[in-house]
Amino acid sequence: MTEHVQIIMIEDDEGHARLIEKNIRRAGVSNDITPFSNGTEALKFLFGTDGTGASNRGRAMLIMLDLNLPDMSGVDILKRVKENEHLKRIPVVVLTTTDDEREIKRCYDLGANVYITKPVNYDSFANAIRQLGLFFSVIKVPESTRA
Amino acid sequence: MTSTETTAGSASQKSPGAQPLLLAIGFVIVILLSAASVWLVDRSSDDADTVIQTLDVQNSLSLILLNLRRAESAQRGYIITGQTPYRDEYQQAAKNTGPAVESATKSIENNLALQGLFSEVPVLVREKLAEMARSVELYDSGKVDEARTLVRGGEGRNLMEGIRNAIVTMYNNERQQLDRRRTESTRTNLYLLAASLLGSALILLIGGTSVYLVQRTSRQRDAAQQELKATNENLEAIVADRTADLREANDEIQRFAYIVSHDLRSPLVNIMGFTTEIEAIKKGIFEQLTALRKDDTEALKKDVEMSRDFDESLGFIKGSIGKMDRLINSILKLSREGRREFKPEYISMDDLVKSIADTVAHRAAEKAIEVTVDTLPPIKSDRLALEQVFANLIDNAMKYTQPGRPGRVRIRGRVDHAQVVYEVEDNGRGIAEEDHQRIFDLFRRAGLQDQPGEGIGLAHVRALVRRLGGYMTLKSQLGEGTTFIVTLPRRMHVEERQAA
Repeated sequence: MTEHVQIIMIEDDEGHARLIEKNIRRAGVSNDITPFSNGTEALKFLFGTDGTGASNRGRAMLIMLDLNLPDMSGVDILKRVKENEHLKRIPVVVLTTTDDEREIKRCYDLGANVYITKPVNYDSFANAIRQLGLFFSVIKVPESTRA
Repeated sequence: MTSTETTAGSASQKSPGAQPLLLAIGFVIVILLSAASVWLVDRSSDDADTVIQTLDVQNSLSLILLNLRRAESAQRGYIITGQTPYRDEYQQAAKNTGPAVESATKSIENNLALQGLFSEVPVLVREKLAEMARSVELYDSGKVDEARTLVRGGEGRNLMEGIRNAIVTMYNNERQQLDRRRTESTRTNLYLLAASLLGSALILLIGGTSVYLVQRTSRQRDAAQQELKATNENLEAIVADRTADLREANDEIQRFAYIVSHDLRSPLVNIMGFTTEIEAIKKGIFEQLTALRKDDTEALKKDVEMSRDFDESLGFIKGSIGKMDRLINSILKLSREGRREFKPEYISMDDLVKSIADTVAHRAAEKAIEVTVDTLPPIKSDRLALEQVFANLIDNAMKYTQPGRPGRVRIRGRVDHAQVVYEVEDNGRGIAEEDHQRIFDLFRRAGLQDQPGEGIGLAHVRALVRRLGGYMTLKSQLGEGTTFIVTLPRRMHVEERQAA
């Protein structure tokens, strides 16, 4: 993943956000991480003030998404991103506590690229995030479509 | 509703009493009418017989008189004229008189009154015949005058008069009797006609009443049925409402458990995560400290103690978090099970339980436990749920053995009407009476806490059995063994629950 790819982290729990960031950095990922602690702000950033997502065209981004947000469900954000002409190719990593099978299926159906459950066991957690970081360092992220 | 019920009730009480009674009365009347008709016909034929008999009697009596008169007039003609045709006619008529008397005697055989009246007739006839024969004999022998004197003497006329009188009396007697009988018969017929008319009228009345009663009953029954139908529909609506409420409440609880578990898990990730971070930091601090201490053994010793306290505290925190995580996972599992839809299918319980027994065979051999599976009745139910139920029960049976006694686990089954009863029996350490309910509660365990477990299994099993439409009981004696009894419907009905 090239340096200019911006990581958007939508995570309401600041502790989780901090732990995720720490472990991603430990994997050697130095990309810019932009955190959002609620859905509304994240959507405003992603879709811009006009709500079309056109403001972000030409930028390379990757979204880490928690499903349990205080103001909306992460599933809604996922749906809107994947339905948007400009944003649909942004890789979305769902990172959440839910390991309910139906929820997992639903996310993949809506176009999620990766679904990861946060383990309570910290060793597993740290390991998972570090692996994810390593994964980030090798994947190719396209730039948002220029419409 | 209550009033309609009572009227319907009284109608149904009244109709079975009145209807058969009316029918019975109708039948009696018909039978009486029939009997009367039969009697009348019989009587008529009797009357006809009597008439014929009377005519017969009259006829034979007339015949006697006729023959006698013929004989007398011929006899007299002969004595006056001396011509032989008169004599021939006399002889012919006299000869016919005998049979006429016999026939008359025969025709009054059964009539004592007539016999009394008739008794002198044959004597008189004989005398008359003798008188006539004497006169003819006298004439034949040339004593014409003597013969004429005999006729003139009036003996013959007197005899004839006697016979005629007797016969006329009998004749009249018979006619009177016939008249009397005819009058009687007419009267009887009149009575019978009246009775028939009355009976017919009664039958019509009864028929009418019956029709009215039947109509009224059926009207009341229709009304009652209408009411019942309305009530039933209402009841169904109420039941549907309640079921929907319950279902909603149950769903609410499931959602609640699910959400709570997730929200509890989220902070746990932090606690666990940052505790581990602290651990890492602590390690760094003590490494740096050790480097700083150099030769200060006293201080080094204190550092090691401090490090140990640090580790102890962190250990407790992490242990508790681990435990909490397991509990939350259990709640999640239970709530997820509660949301799973059952798919009833026909299951060979023999195969199902034997395959569970096979999976634990290795452990059973290690602990020297003998697992026996009897022949089990099949069932229509959810396979996965039953696997969990019996895997749990068999696992429990093998887990809580009585030390110093070779373990024995036995699974039995039987059909009880629309239910099947399965029993998992062990000779393990048993459960104290006061714990029989408690062991089914979530996170509650009984007896010596020497085995791993969270206190989830039985709660889970009971919840599953309930959802399958059955119930669980147990028999147990401390130190003797335990039998868990699972009662399930033979065919699980899924429509209601599936809709939930």
